[in-house]
Amino acid sequence: MEPPYKILVVDDEPDLEPLMLQRMRRHIRAGRYTFVFAHNGVEALERLNQQDDIDMVLSDINMPRMDGLTLLEQIPKVDPNIRSVIVSAYGDMKNIRTAMNRGAFDFVTKPLDFADLQITIDRTLSHMTEWREALSSRDKLVALQNELNVASQIQQSILPTQFPQGAEFNVYASMEPARNVGGDFFDVLALEDGLIGLAIADVSDKGVPAALFMMSSRTLLKGSAIGMGEPGDVLGEVNQLLHEDNDTGMFVTILYAVYNPFSGEFAYANGGHNSPLIVHPDGSSSLLPLTGGIALGVAPDMPYQQQTLSLAPGDLVFLYTDGVTEAMNEEEEEYGVERLQEVFSANPPKDPHEAIEAVFDSVNDFAGDTPQSDDITCLALHRSES
Amino acid sequence: MGVTTERQDNTLIAKTEGRIDGANAREFQDALDAAIDSSERQVVLDLEEVSYISSAGLRVILLTAKSLQKQEAKFAVCSLSESIREIFEISGFDQIIAVHDSRDEAIDALKG
Repeated sequence: MEPPYKILVVDDEPDLEPLMLQRMRRHIRAGRYTFVFAHNGVEALERLNQQDDIDMVLSDINMPRMDGLTLLEQIPKVDPNIRSVIVSAYGDMKNIRTAMNRGAFDFVTKPLDFADLQITIDRTLSHMTEWREALSSRDKLVALQNELNVASQIQQSILPTQFPQGAEFNVYASMEPARNVGGDFFDVLALEDGLIGLAIADVSDKGVPAALFMMSSRTLLKGSAIGMGEPGDVLGEVNQLLHEDNDTGMFVTILYAVYNPFSGEFAYANGGHNSPLIVHPDGSSSLLPLTGGIALGVAPDMPYQQQTLSLAPGDLVFLYTDGVTEAMNEEEEEYGVERLQEVFSANPPKDPHEAIEAVFDSVNDFAGDTPQSDDITCLALHRSES
Repeated sequence: MGVTTERQDNTLIAKTEGRIDGANAREFQDALDAAIDSSERQVVLDLEEVSYISSAGLRVILLTAKSLQKQEAKFAVCSLSESIREIFEISGFDQIIAVHDSRDEAIDALKG
């Protein structure tokens, strides 16, 4: 809020107007205040309705047609952010108290001491400036929250909900977003020759920049995956593209795999992501070895090795983000890989959807009401029994 | 998220403690930026008292490593707990940031 501040002076005494303009002339000339005048409450409301740039009201109490105390009740209906100062007879505590109860910010007494009046006006205006700034910050926060909600919706809307299906395999993936916008994503791609591309990823940091980085990561990955065969080559190319012009220090961990549903061959490359689990039909499971690749976007020209294993009928590969294993309970314990493995040994999964639901249930039971700071994302692929 | 510093053989040792995650990563970054002067030539980040580091925390360390590289300074981290070392290994950060078992070892390595 910038000067000049517009002050509405309400008094039925006609001499006040020239007196005020004369006494405040230096401030008016300096561009600090401008004045508008009204002679009773009704006129005052007319002025307020006509001129929406009035910052404060200085009002007498006893006036014809509508008195100052009634006017005080009406002002917030026009603009709740206008501050009012009441002019009362000296020692008239009853009216002063009524005025304060009706929302007056301050009062001055008659006969007017103009030096004191000016101090009161300045204090009122400075209070109002702070008040408006606080309101505007609050509005900005609400806007920011809306923006985050939009980012979160965009993030979730690009995640696939339909997955390639076949008699030889079954695949499912799901994410439980954290309260803030996180940066997890997954993708399941139908590639040439019936091959299936599987990706799970976690972007460093949270919020809108992470969501944007995640979206470009996901697009680049999809493009490379469709154009190239080998998981290691795909990660190498995406790393190169992400690293260009990346001075934010943001990076993404990705595990990308290509599955051949006909042979059961599962080739994967790991870019700084945690190891997937292979779960056998008896419920036993083990972590797949890391392939030694660094998170993507960190440094150029990094090598991405890949590993290949063969899924036996009934095997399930479980890909996840650290939101699962680092989920925390009230005692600040981490969920950990062992608990994850126990879920599978207790109930050997026959279906990827059920397997993921069981993991979410187990993590949620463990975490209780403790809010999680990270997205929890799982992707599972099951090779059919026969 | 405070960062304390001391100097040993022309090497600046920066140290912090506790969890470094999305909630305090920015604070950690500001503290680290303030602690490291552009005239430094050797910087060691001592992670002995750090119990957990998230990807947001790794990002701060990466940014620090990159800006030190720009000013042609050497950088290393040291004294990682087993779980922090695992995070460095899984993310692959140990491939681009020197990791040492102890402070003395890190200082020796940077001198050479």
